[in-house]
This record gives sequence, C-alpha cells and structure tokens, in this order.
Amino acid sequence: MPRTTTLDCPGCPPLRALTFDELGLIKVIEARGKQGRAEPKVVERWGDPDSSKCVLAASIHDRKSDPLLAVARRNGTVEVLNPLNGDLRFAVSNASNNGVQPEDDPVAGLHLFAKKKLELASRSCTLLTCTTKGNASIRSFEVNKPSADVSSTGSSRTWSIGDGGSILCSKVDGSENYFLLGGKRVEMNVWDLDSCAKIWTSKPPPKNSLGIFTPTWFTSATFLSKDDHRKFVAGTNSHEVRLYDISAQRRPVISFDFRETAIKSVAEDLDGYTIYVGNGSGDLASFDIRTGKLLGCFLGKCSGSIRSIARHPEFPVIATCGLDSYLRLWNVKTRQLLSAVHLKQHLTNVLFYSNFADEEAEVAHSAADWPLHEDERGEGETPPMKRKKSKEKKGIEKDAEAKSGNKESFEEYGGKKVKSKKSSKRLKM
Amino acid sequence: MGGNDKRKRSESEGGDEQAMEKKREILPSMIKNKEKRSAIHAKLKQQKKLEKRKKAKARDAAEKRALELGEELPAKKIPKTIENTREFDETVCKPDDEELFAGNDADEFSSILKRERTPKILITTCRFHSSRGPDLIKELLSVIPNAHYYKRGTYDLKKIVEFANKKDFTSIIVVHTNRREPDAFVIIGLPTGPTAHFKLSNLVLRKDIKNHGNPTSHEPELVLNNFTTRLGHRIGRSIQSLFPQEPNFPGRRVVTFHNQRDFIFFRHHRYIFEAKETKQTESKGKKTKDAKGESEPQGKVIARLQECGPRFTLKLLSLQHGTFDTKGGEYEWVHKPEMDTSRRRFFL
Repeated sequence: MPRTTTLDCPGCPPLRALTFDELGLIKVIEARGKQGRAEPKVVERWGDPDSSKCVLAASIHDRKSDPLLAVARRNGTVEVLNPLNGDLRFAVSNASNNGVQPEDDPVAGLHLFAKKKLELASRSCTLLTCTTKGNASIRSFEVNKPSADVSSTGSSRTWSIGDGGSILCSKVDGSENYFLLGGKRVEMNVWDLDSCAKIWTSKPPPKNSLGIFTPTWFTSATFLSKDDHRKFVAGTNSHEVRLYDISAQRRPVISFDFRETAIKSVAEDLDGYTIYVGNGSGDLASFDIRTGKLLGCFLGKCSGSIRSIARHPEFPVIATCGLDSYLRLWNVKTRQLLSAVHLKQHLTNVLFYSNFADEEAEVAHSAADWPLHEDERGEGETPPMKRKKSKEKKGIEKDAEAKSGNKESFEEYGGKKVKSKKSSKRLKM
Repeated sequence: MGGNDKRKRSESEGGDEQAMEKKREILPSMIKNKEKRSAIHAKLKQQKKLEKRKKAKARDAAEKRALELGEELPAKKIPKTIENTREFDETVCKPDDEELFAGNDADEFSSILKRERTPKILITTCRFHSSRGPDLIKELLSVIPNAHYYKRGTYDLKKIVEFANKKDFTSIIVVHTNRREPDAFVIIGLPTGPTAHFKLSNLVLRKDIKNHGNPTSHEPELVLNNFTTRLGHRIGRSIQSLFPQEPNFPGRRVVTFHNQRDFIFFRHHRYIFEAKETKQTESKGKKTKDAKGESEPQGKVIARLQECGPRFTLKLLSLQHGTFDTKGGEYEWVHKPEMDTSRRRFFL
C-alpha cells in the first residue's frame, strides 16, 4: 500500500470566518458541529470574480444586533455589507477630489468604528480610510434601511498624513482614539483621531557597526493590547520585529529578527504579550514580546506568504491566510494545525465573526459539551505556571520593560480571560 | 471458464502462502549463520521465481484460450506507479471550476495568452559564465522566437528588470552557471508577473545529441504535459507566455515541457510525416495487422521525430509574487524540506 501522509487534522471549534481574495470574492467558512471536531467548509461565496474588485482591506464590527462589515476594493469603492448574509448596505467611492485615479492610490487601511465617533443618529456608521499616498479621511454615513441609498452626512474629515512615502499598514487601537500607521519610507506615526494631529513618530535605529543604514520600510503593525495605545509591535521588510513604546522612547524597545524574508503580518494575542508573526515565505511563529523570545513555530507545510492573521476572540485559535490560497486554523496552545481549507485564490484578509459561537450554543445547547472547551480548561492549568515564570523573568528584565504599569495591565487581562471562561462555562450549564 | 479456473488457482495459491507463512516464522535475516542464511534465502528466491513464472504462464494461457474462443481478453492489469498512487491533492484544477477561469483572465499572463501582447524575451546570465553556459544560451535563442541576448555585465537583476520593462520585454530568462555548468534557471514575468526559480540539471546540448536536427526559425508548437495543480497551472502559463501563441505548422517544430513527478523535462523536436513503403512499416508487431486490414497499396503514413536543440530538466524551487526581489519578496510557493513527507506527494 502507498504510504500516505494526510495530516490528521483534529478539527476546530464552531466558528465563522470570512476571507477576502484578489478577485474580490468574499467567502464564508463555517465550522459548525458536534464535539468541537467540526470540519470547516465554505458555506457561502459573495460577489463575482473581478480582478478590479480585489479586496485591499476589510474591517468588521460584530455587535450582536446589526453587525457591519466594511470592505475596500481596488477600484476605489468602499462597500459596507451585512456579514451575516452578504447584503450590500451601501457603497461609497473613495476617489479623492484632486483627480487621482483610485487604482494609483489604493486604500491601505480601513477601520469601521464600533463606537459612535461623531455624535449622530443611531443608524449610522463611521469609516476611517487611509490610502497609500497618505490621504486619510473619516466619514460618517447614515444607513437607511429600506433602500440601500446612503446619505453622507456632512461630518467628514480629510487630512493628509503621508510625507512622500507609501503607507502599507495602519491600525486603530481598542479605544478608537488613536491611529497608527507606517510604511515604505514612512516611520511609524501615531495620530490622535479627535484632533487629527500627529502625537508621536518613531525614530529609525542607528546605523549598524558597518555604518550601513537600513531604509525604513514597515510592512505590518498591531497594538499590543486593546486597552493600551502606547505599546505596539511593527514588522519591517528587513525581517525585523520591533516593539515600540510611546511613553518610553522613540526608538524600538525591543527588536529581533525572524527568519530571512520580510515580515508580512503581525497579530496580537488576547493576553497582551504574545504576538504572532507571519513572513513572506510562509513561516508563522509566536513570540513573547516582553523578552523577544520565540515561543514556537507553527509547522504545517505552509508555503505561501502569510498576508493576514486573525485571533479568535474566545477560542484559542488563530486563522492565517495568504498567497498559498489556504485558510489555515491553528491551535494557539499546542501550535497544531487544526484544519486547512483551500479557497482557490490568493487571499488578502481573514476575519472572524465572533458571535457565531454564541449562536451555535443557543442552537445546540443540549449537546453543548465541546471537548475542546474541556481541553482548554485542562490546559488552562499549565499556562499560569508559565505566566508566573515569565513574571519572575520580567522582574529581572525590568530594563526591557520600560513601563511599570504593564504588569497590572497584563494581570488585568488575565483576570478578564478567566472571567470569560467562566461565562462560557455558565453558557454550557 | 478461464476466469473461474484462475480464481481457484489463485485461491489455492493464497492458501499455500498462508501455510507457508505459518511454517516460516523465522525470516532468513534472523538466522545468524551466514551459510544457512544464504542457503535459505536462495531457496526462497527460487520459490518466488517459480511462482512468478507459474503466474505468468497461467495468464498467458488464459489469454490464449480467450483468443481462441473469441472471447474478450482478460483485462490487462495496470501496474502501480508512484504517479497513479499519488496522494490526493485538493488543489488539482477541475475543468468546471469557474473561479479558475476567472483567475486566469485576471492573472499576469492573460494579456500575452490572449494575443494582446507579443512575447519578447530577454535572455541573460549570471555575472560570470563560460563554456556550457553560452552554448545553452545560443540554443535557447534558437528555441524561443523573439528572444534577445543581453550581456549581464555587472548590473543588478533589479536594474535589468527595470531596463526590460522600459524596452517592453514580456519576460526575462536568467541562466545561472556554476563551475562552468548551467545549474539554475529563473523566469521573470514582466511587468508585474511572478518569478519562477528552477533548478536545472541533466543538460545535453545539441551537439551532443546523436543525429540531431537543426531547428528552423518557424514559431514552434508547444506541448505542456501534466501541469495539473493550481501551482502547476500557473507555472505552465508562465512557460506558455514565453512562446508566441500562433505556431507556424509548416515548420513542424515542437517544444515540449513534460512534467513528471515535479520534474519538468524540456525537449525540442522536429517531426515529419512520411509515407513509408509498406514493407518497412510491417516490421512492427501490432501495426502489421492494422496495415493488412486496411490493405491499401500506398502504405502507411507514419510520424518520425528528430530531436534538435537542448535537452534539460527543470525542478521548481520557488515561485515568487512580483518581480525578482530576494530580500522583501513574497513567495507564492517555496519548497521547504518539511514538505517532503512522501514520495507520492507532488506539487505541480
């Protein structure tokens, strides 16, 4: 008999993920099922293949009632959809007034605000878009339910943030007051969204011992935790991962190399110190950013550049996607591949729709004893040990940590996590 | 009838084998005395040989009987090969996949393959090259129409890409030479297209091929075999975009890229249809019967091949998104050692 090497994928907890690809298709992948061993499948496909509609950025706001999904396409339109059924709520053109073709100035960052940014009627949504050449704008739209027409309220603000370079990554922090961006020949900037003013700029690291200066080229960035806008992680084209702390200094607090190709995506964990790093040749690893130590690599025959990493808000699962046109789901704790779905196109983005697990629980609450949850609980006993250790370590390496308030925030975060676990238990009861 | 007999026989054989297995629980490799071991081994080998011969004889007999009785011949067994026991791959292209075709229309090669742009190829080398490198390039220039050789000089490949973009080239081929032997092959699609990096081996130049032909300047026909997966499809399209899309059939030139077990074999032939005298065509076993059946006096038209041009083997090492950029490049596919988990897993 031929020897086969099909990976035994243990399946994943019930979840719903959305992927966006270069032909402008949005695919919905759902794993619904029993005993947490569901095989994720493509459930729906929205849109028709058209290369001019290539999705560049996406942002989701998944409140329980009336969730929204914003998608920026290459032809300059920003569409707002319903992530449950894919209905188009409205579409707006992002074309600026100064006659620049949208293809020449694609959208680099998009954020859909969860909070009401500008005091408006209840049925409105606020979008922040940022183009590669540095035109940022915050616009509010009122969604009229019956007809999908959109009335742009006058409260739109546009300002310029680029200084010659091209912006490649941007992020809005958890409180949605601060906006982080960086790119090729653009240092990391933090902007205050209330006043649209730059409040902080990073400084390039000094020349190395040979006197060689590596040009600035940031490819990805993320805030370290939701509550803290002062610390963020950035990945560079010269395969470096850097931790910046606004309150400490303008140069990176920690920086370390990862493999040999450009970092293409970084994502933070809920615990506020673990980060996931994906690079241009398909390597994925998790790091403890407090020490810069590699926690482990995610191995699974992944061969294409990782464009996007998403962390599930409840389960210990991350999803990655990229140029090898697979959506892969990984267990964070064991770093094991849970499953891989072939989606046929080069993928650009992946997002989780977080309320799905709750729905599922309501649907099948009689048989809701997912073993993965038990696993989680079982394993939940080991990580605190590690955490303790790392805290001790942290005490030693205080110089690495520029801020003393961090510890509390980490602890806070841990406490929250426990709470959430409890609540999930309650759900099951 | 024959089938029944055969089944019985095979059953009895199976029974024998089971009995044998019970008896010989001691494998020859477990015996420590060398003489005994070799004796038993020889005996086993002899037995196996006899069994095999017996089987073959039975098969032949069955076939013969079927022929005599005018029955259908027993189905020929298909040998198991690595290819036909290939591991299941979900990325294999399906003909009814509309997303695939939409993707094809949108990719970098579609303008060339739809004949909106004519392919124009720049061929260059690595920094230092000698002996077999220049010879290969001379032959590649004769294989690929509208190919232009530029000296590499000391330019960076990125600069060359810029230059070629300005001059409206559609692809760049770089032949890399190591120790006077070509060993790598890079195909860069322009202006945005992917960069495929191949290992080149088993190069036989034209002058080393016996009875080789000299190619004409007609546009060749192109044969791409077994590029089945999405990755293979993409590689196939990138190779296809090197050649003009309308072959000049009177030239009777064929360029073949045959993929087998992830190795891409390059061959360059000229074919000819010849009306042979019947006498010579009848020298081949089965064909004679056909010829007799037709019983036409002017004889059969047969195709003959003459090999011309180089012969080499390529193996894909990586496929990069965008033009050549080793530092900040994004890979669509890279070969990693952890992917070699089985002999039956193929990527193209």
